Amino acid sequence: MNPTLRRILFSLAVLLWAACILYFYNSGRIVKYLVPDFRPIALAGGLGLAVLGLFNLITARQHADCGHDHAHDHDHEGGDMNPLVSLLLMSLPIALSMAWTKDQFSQSTLARKGLYADVQPSDTAFLANILPPLTLEEIEKSHRKTSDGYLEFSLMEIFFATGDRETQGILDGMKIETEGRIVPERDNNPDGTRMRLYRMFMTCCVADSRAIPIILEFGAEPPLLPENGWVKIAGTLTFPEENGSLKAVLKVDRATAAEVPEEEKFMRR
Amino acid sequence: MNPDARQDFALAFLSILFEGAPFILLGTLISGFIDIYLPAGAMDRFLPKNKTFAVLTAGLLGAVFPVCECAVVPVIRRLVGKGLPMSCALTYMLAAPIVNPITALSTWKAFQGQAPWMMTGGRMLLGYLVAVGVGLIVARLPLRMVLRKNLVNSLEKNKSPESHTAHDTHTCCGHDHDHDHDHDHDHDHDNHHPHEKENRLVAAMRSAQKDFVDVGVYFTIGVAITALFNTGIAPGAEWLDSLAGNPVAAPAALMALAFILSLCSTSDAFIAATLAKFTWGAKLAFLVLGPMLDVKLIFLYQTVLTRKFILALSVSIFLVIWIVAIAWESWIGKVVMP
Repeated sequence: MNPTLRRILFSLAVLLWAACILYFYNSGRIVKYLVPDFRPIALAGGLGLAVLGLFNLITARQHADCGHDHAHDHDHEGGDMNPLVSLLLMSLPIALSMAWTKDQFSQSTLARKGLYADVQPSDTAFLANILPPLTLEEIEKSHRKTSDGYLEFSLMEIFFATGDRETQGILDGMKIETEGRIVPERDNNPDGTRMRLYRMFMTCCVADSRAIPIILEFGAEPPLLPENGWVKIAGTLTFPEENGSLKAVLKVDRATAAEVPEEEKFMRR
Repeated sequence: MNPDARQDFALAFLSILFEGAPFILLGTLISGFIDIYLPAGAMDRFLPKNKTFAVLTAGLLGAVFPVCECAVVPVIRRLVGKGLPMSCALTYMLAAPIVNPITALSTWKAFQGQAPWMMTGGRMLLGYLVAVGVGLIVARLPLRMVLRKNLVNSLEKNKSPESHTAHDTHTCCGHDHDHDHDHDHDHDHDNHHPHEKENRLVAAMRSAQKDFVDVGVYFTIGVAITALFNTGIAPGAEWLDSLAGNPVAAPAALMALAFILSLCSTSDAFIAATLAKFTWGAKLAFLVLGPMLDVKLIFLYQTVLTRKFILALSVSIFLVIWIVAIAWESWIGKVVMP
């Protein structure tokens, strides 16, 4: 292939990646994909790619001498495959993904990422380094109380308590309020009185995220709330053993639709 | 794919791509500039004369001349042609994609919240030891057993006294050397070639872009396959998951995955970090084997090495990393994270 045309095709592939990254950053949608640490790195990468692609596009016709001994047949620009195939492989998946993405996982993938899984102590070990030690005094000092007397908790703290006997002892029977997304309860729900509340925890990017769920017990038919919508739930926290494993069950006193928080997912820090 | 599967694939695909692309860019910019600005003889100066020390040092050269595995093979081909000992070249080839600051940074970043120092340190150490081990063995093998026949012949030809011309030590003057001339080298290169710097910047950017596209293609394929497994769309995803906690089978499974995915060492940690269900040992095996051995590297190696040697190298590396990964997992389970 003509070297100039090859350079142009390569530049287009690089510029497409740059445009995609910069669009997601600029539109704010990047928050659904990466933890805060990685967002400026993605921006720098997008800008760097734009510079690389534009520079090579502008200088595509310019003669350049690498300065090496060319008595042997080395080539600084010949790729592994046909440039058109390279362009296709680099652009098609990213273009399709941009068209298909809804910035969130479907229910089936959420299930795969732990939405309905039982919490094991080993599952919460990764939280031990992130969360401060929980004592009754610490809880009362560090958690706000709502006007009707519920302590505001993050779902992460409740999830952590499910795998930690000591914290369970402190939280069991406590009146708390928390927020998350609400979905129907799939298992162990013969009377249809249960729902499930969850948020996602992201380590680096959304592909490595996992669900942080608890069970909601309404005691009667649950109120109509938008499925997978954000809700604030207040009630009494319990840790019963069901089917051989401990569960965090919140006996609901009130449930209301809530605003989507600025950061939907829990981040590493 | 149904709409849900498309949505899941797209989300996972884009997130891994956004995370890894800046690191590939950094790696390919550096390799592009090394490609154009680094004289071929520069590496020889860093190596001690003693064979063993030379191999031990070659394993660390990636810290000074960082290149990913795609870029390192053509570089090695040229360096061997310029007389770099094969044992050092092979050690550098296997170690440089792992033991280099870009890979260290990307591994450390990718494993934030998942014992980053342990994973980064383990990867660097095992990568170095495997590469040095291979180098020390190769130092005791006849060249014809390792190198392709045409390269051996070319080396032998270069060693003959009549083949020595001023060009052997003159690689960066910027002249067109297709003709057979000789130079007196007491001239000033910058004055002699007023546009050289500008032209070489263009050449370096082109080389970087070419490297980015080469790596980007494999990265895209790798990310797509990972996204399919990550979201359970790929056939066999459940089977792969079922091996995840097995300390013996998991490293082998992830090494097979690393071989197929053919990821760049500057970005593979971002894939490994998403394999949350797998053991630490399996992730380490994935991170060490991938930059040394994968589908694309098998093809690239054939430009330098004999097929028999590639086969022996592949089997040995696979087995050594597998055994170490199992032992490492067991050690972590008992000592670090009981």
